[in-house]
Amino acid sequence: MAAFSSMHCSPSYSFSYSSINGCKKQSFILSASPRFSVPDKAKVFFQSPGNSHQNGVLMQDGAVTTKVSPVGKEANIEKLERDLMSVTSSKEWDEKAGFDINENESTVSITVVGASGDLAKKKIFPALFALYYEGCLPKHFTIYGYARSKMTDAELRNMVSKTLTCRIDKRENCGEKMDEFLKRCFYHSGQYDSEENFAQLNKKLKEHEGGRLSNRLFYLSIPPNIFINAVKCASTSASSGNGWTRVIVEKPFGRDSESSAALTKALKQYLSEDQIFRIDHYLGKELVENLSVLRFSNLIFEPLWSRQYIRNVQLIFSEDFGTEGRGGYFDHYGIIRDIMQNHLLQILALFAMETPVSLDAEDIRNEKVKVLRSMRPLRLEDVVIGQYKSHSKGGVTYPAYTDDNTVPKDSLTPTFAAAALFIDNARWDGVPFLMKAGKALHNKRAEIRVQFRHVPGNLYNRKFGTDLDQTTNELVIRVQPDEAIYLKINNKVPGLGMRLDRSNLNLHYAARYSKEIPDAYERLLLDAIEGERRLFIRSDELDAAWSLFTPVLAELEEKKIIPEYYPYGSRGPVGAHYLAARYNVRWGDLGVEQSV
Amino acid sequence: MAAPITPCSSPSSSSSLAFPSEFNLCKPRNCCFSNWVSHVCPRIRTRTHFQIKTSNGHPLNAVSMQGGMDGSPLAKGINPEKEEDFFIDISDGEEAHSTLSITVVGASGDLAKKKIFPALFALYYEDWLPENFVIFGYARTKLTDEELRNMISRTLTCRIDKRANCEDKMEQFLKRCFYHSGEYSSEEHFAELDNKLKEKEAGKRSNRLFYLSIPPNIFVDVVRCASRKASSAKGWTRVIVEKPFGRDSESSAELTRCLKKYLTEEQIFRIDHYLGKELVENLSVLRFSNLVFEPLWSRNYIRNVQFIFSEDFGTEGRGGYFDNYGIIRDIMQNHLLQILALFAMETPVSLDAEDIRNEKVKVLRSMKPLELEDVIIGQYKGHNKGGRTYPGYTDDSTVPSNSITPTFAAAALFINNARWDGVPFLMKAGKALHRKRAEIRVQFRHVPGNLYKRNFGTDLDKATNELVLRVQPDEAIYLKINNKVPGLGMRLDRSDLNLLYRARYPREIPDAYERLLLDAIAGERRLFIRSDELDAAWSLFTPLLKELEAKKISPELYPYGSRGPVGAHYLAAKYNVRWGDLGGDDD
Repeated sequence: MAAFSSMHCSPSYSFSYSSINGCKKQSFILSASPRFSVPDKAKVFFQSPGNSHQNGVLMQDGAVTTKVSPVGKEANIEKLERDLMSVTSSKEWDEKAGFDINENESTVSITVVGASGDLAKKKIFPALFALYYEGCLPKHFTIYGYARSKMTDAELRNMVSKTLTCRIDKRENCGEKMDEFLKRCFYHSGQYDSEENFAQLNKKLKEHEGGRLSNRLFYLSIPPNIFINAVKCASTSASSGNGWTRVIVEKPFGRDSESSAALTKALKQYLSEDQIFRIDHYLGKELVENLSVLRFSNLIFEPLWSRQYIRNVQLIFSEDFGTEGRGGYFDHYGIIRDIMQNHLLQILALFAMETPVSLDAEDIRNEKVKVLRSMRPLRLEDVVIGQYKSHSKGGVTYPAYTDDNTVPKDSLTPTFAAAALFIDNARWDGVPFLMKAGKALHNKRAEIRVQFRHVPGNLYNRKFGTDLDQTTNELVIRVQPDEAIYLKINNKVPGLGMRLDRSNLNLHYAARYSKEIPDAYERLLLDAIEGERRLFIRSDELDAAWSLFTPVLAELEEKKIIPEYYPYGSRGPVGAHYLAARYNVRWGDLGVEQSV
Repeated sequence: MAAPITPCSSPSSSSSLAFPSEFNLCKPRNCCFSNWVSHVCPRIRTRTHFQIKTSNGHPLNAVSMQGGMDGSPLAKGINPEKEEDFFIDISDGEEAHSTLSITVVGASGDLAKKKIFPALFALYYEDWLPENFVIFGYARTKLTDEELRNMISRTLTCRIDKRANCEDKMEQFLKRCFYHSGEYSSEEHFAELDNKLKEKEAGKRSNRLFYLSIPPNIFVDVVRCASRKASSAKGWTRVIVEKPFGRDSESSAELTRCLKKYLTEEQIFRIDHYLGKELVENLSVLRFSNLVFEPLWSRNYIRNVQFIFSEDFGTEGRGGYFDNYGIIRDIMQNHLLQILALFAMETPVSLDAEDIRNEKVKVLRSMKPLELEDVIIGQYKGHNKGGRTYPGYTDDSTVPSNSITPTFAAAALFINNARWDGVPFLMKAGKALHRKRAEIRVQFRHVPGNLYKRNFGTDLDKATNELVLRVQPDEAIYLKINNKVPGLGMRLDRSDLNLLYRARYPREIPDAYERLLLDAIAGERRLFIRSDELDAAWSLFTPLLKELEAKKISPELYPYGSRGPVGAHYLAAKYNVRWGDLGGDDD
């Protein structure tokens, strides 16, 4: 079973030039990433964008403001248009498109903006093909690539075809399907800030739509500094006249509360909330999806899901490689923004939320926001940061972060961070939620660990000696690699003595489910087409998330806090242990009996 | 595996039954069922998986215990035992001055050969026995020490995981084995045994363990002789007895009364093999050493509990003993009920035997006696499959052709206490079913207000969690949970959180007899049944058993090798339960 093969790379923002980046780690080594074509094998890992080169683009303050302010005069007109547009595109249309209208009369046009970029080639087109192959796309659909490069439709098809693969579990007529799919792919060359070019695109789209009710999805696979331009042009010149228009954007969504709010404000000049689909890949991961299923469809977990039984929760993310020459983008963000503030915090919110009224997106997102708003902003003393230094092992020398020539020599950007967060509500008061994320560590892993309290008045206490920490139950949800769920329980070692031991009650996905697990992008694209917003981040969620992290980020920068150095390939700075110890926690992933 | 020493009881009929070859208890029976035909039991040698079995085939018929008791005075020649005497607690220095003598009464029988001596050897091999020990075989057959050793040596095996110096160890072990021939009711012969034991004990402080591997009708005689003439003067004397402990409240009470004429409660070790099983031992560990289970362990979360025992073979020509008892006495009233009590008890004050047994008795005493309407009985009939004909129970030549003895039973029991009020505890036991299995299934309630309801359609029964402890074969623990099927849809499915012992613990799991013998030597009574427990257990089943017999209720016939009578489903349905082992997604 192939792991989630794709998802990983956060590179979403990595657009065209981003080249290698976003991909899986292996590709770094191979530099050509052949594995992409064999997604089944590709255990890709979540990658922090480290590599992504996406340099500077960023939305630094400047960027955003500049974009925004120019809107000035045109604003009125645009506003008007926006209003019109949002009317058409709002829910009513959803419903029409979805339910009322005969399928034959509606069509979906998917425009991949930044089509020549790596992310588009490696993840988006393959995910679209997979959806087509599985019959998940509507009968009428068209796919447009849009980018600045000059290309013909045939050239695009040629490019796309190199990265398409078929599911291992049913390859039968894959060749044919691929041909049919490619026939639906077209290309339009244009500038990202040219309304004229988007108007030309609009014309072409209309041709393909043939008068049907048209729904349009724009996937912005471009750097964030040009988000706004592209959104403005698309919305003013290429919105659907009679169906919905939706835009998918990827992180980073700003770098602190202010820049994020500015970006949101700018997007909202052209789009309504319903039209914005902010992707967090992590939320498309199979085991993250399963988190709610576990909690809410099993009787046995929910009674335990509170401070009464849970001692602490750990959200752990590690990569076993560094920036590897592509630290330019990463250096501007650092691990906290890159992984914690979005991926890990989103999972935390899903984990800790109250039972929603229903599984509808708004109900779930309402509960998530409540969790985020119940949390204390992170304090400096509850954070440990680290940066990897070079290390020689077995004759190989691994470079330090600052040896990367795309990184300033005196960079203080953390490549590792650990933090303790608290949710001040009735369910979780006093329970530490520990996060840990790092690059260039000894393994790659993403997992959620729930450590339960001690058994009160444990009859078997004496069998364990005094190390009570070893005796607590632990639920582990391993998101990658090798998806698995297991519950560590105490068990009698078979034999004549009465020795207890921790064993696992296990569910190993590879053994249980032989089917390939779909890539997170497939799920997210499909959800966006269907208007299912459960896995996308709403503006108020984003605000709440930033407000937890912004003060500590500002303080780190202002005080120029020096990260603790740790050797490349090690288990990270020891400071993480002291942080955990302060809250009477042990990291579950670094124990003696390290989970397998 | 149960080796069954069977019992006694039905006084009247018993004496008339002839015992085939003197207590050669269950011949092939201990071994593999598959080998009925061959009569040779090669599997015993490999000791890998002994199965718990019903006592079919038990040759020993019951004999009344009355005779013996009448004449015997209440002499109590035995020192009441002191807890401090556990040899295990004794320091090395003291150990050198004390010695342990184990006398296997009925040494030439099958149970002794196949289970007891091998278990003793395994304990020796693993260094669990004290430094000074001797083993005596006692039976009527004339044998020399050498002949006994020869006989025993054929059934000894070494643990698979360390065969290193097995041969040596075996020789050393055999050197400690001796034989004494005598009648079971002769005080004189036991006095001779006592002399021999004393010789071996050489003045050390002596502890003596008697294992009664004999038919229950002579229990009392042996106990009388042993206690009067062969008790230890300075150490403890303990006696291990096996089921059946009577066949109803009265006969059981009578047996207990007779035993107590010669033994104190602390000296009586009533074995229930099931309690020595690894997963049964683990049941308390799971509950009490994990935080995640105990909060769920009540009527708030548990919908029902099922205790299931099945064998895939019938009496196969050895139904004589079984026919007098039936499946309810043979399996339910003891094995399954014991497990139920362990499962349902409140948290004991400590893990000490008396604390645990106190809690078990409380459970048993909180239960309603079983009513006829909550029981289904069945009997297997002949069946043709694939050109083979499988015999009906009454085709067995040792079974009366009009027998209505149940070979299958299902029952619903209730515990009327605060924790379990209204939760059905279902039991099911049967012979000649489609497979062999012993397991405990805990079905949890539905998720209240389940958000995912629509993903399951209407069959909510499929959506509940279930904890399964599989005692045999292939020991395992698994928890059925609902999980998202990986993929783009949102389909839910039951998956298992699994612990398969074979994969996790490659070492051989010790036989239940080893643990029980070791515990008896150590004076650990946790796994043995106390007299008041036994009384309470019988009082739940006796009224029902009498009613079945008085009304001559005919069992529902089911084909050999089938899933048992459908009545079991209707019984379960009455309490809104589905049998976990017969569902579609059963593993």
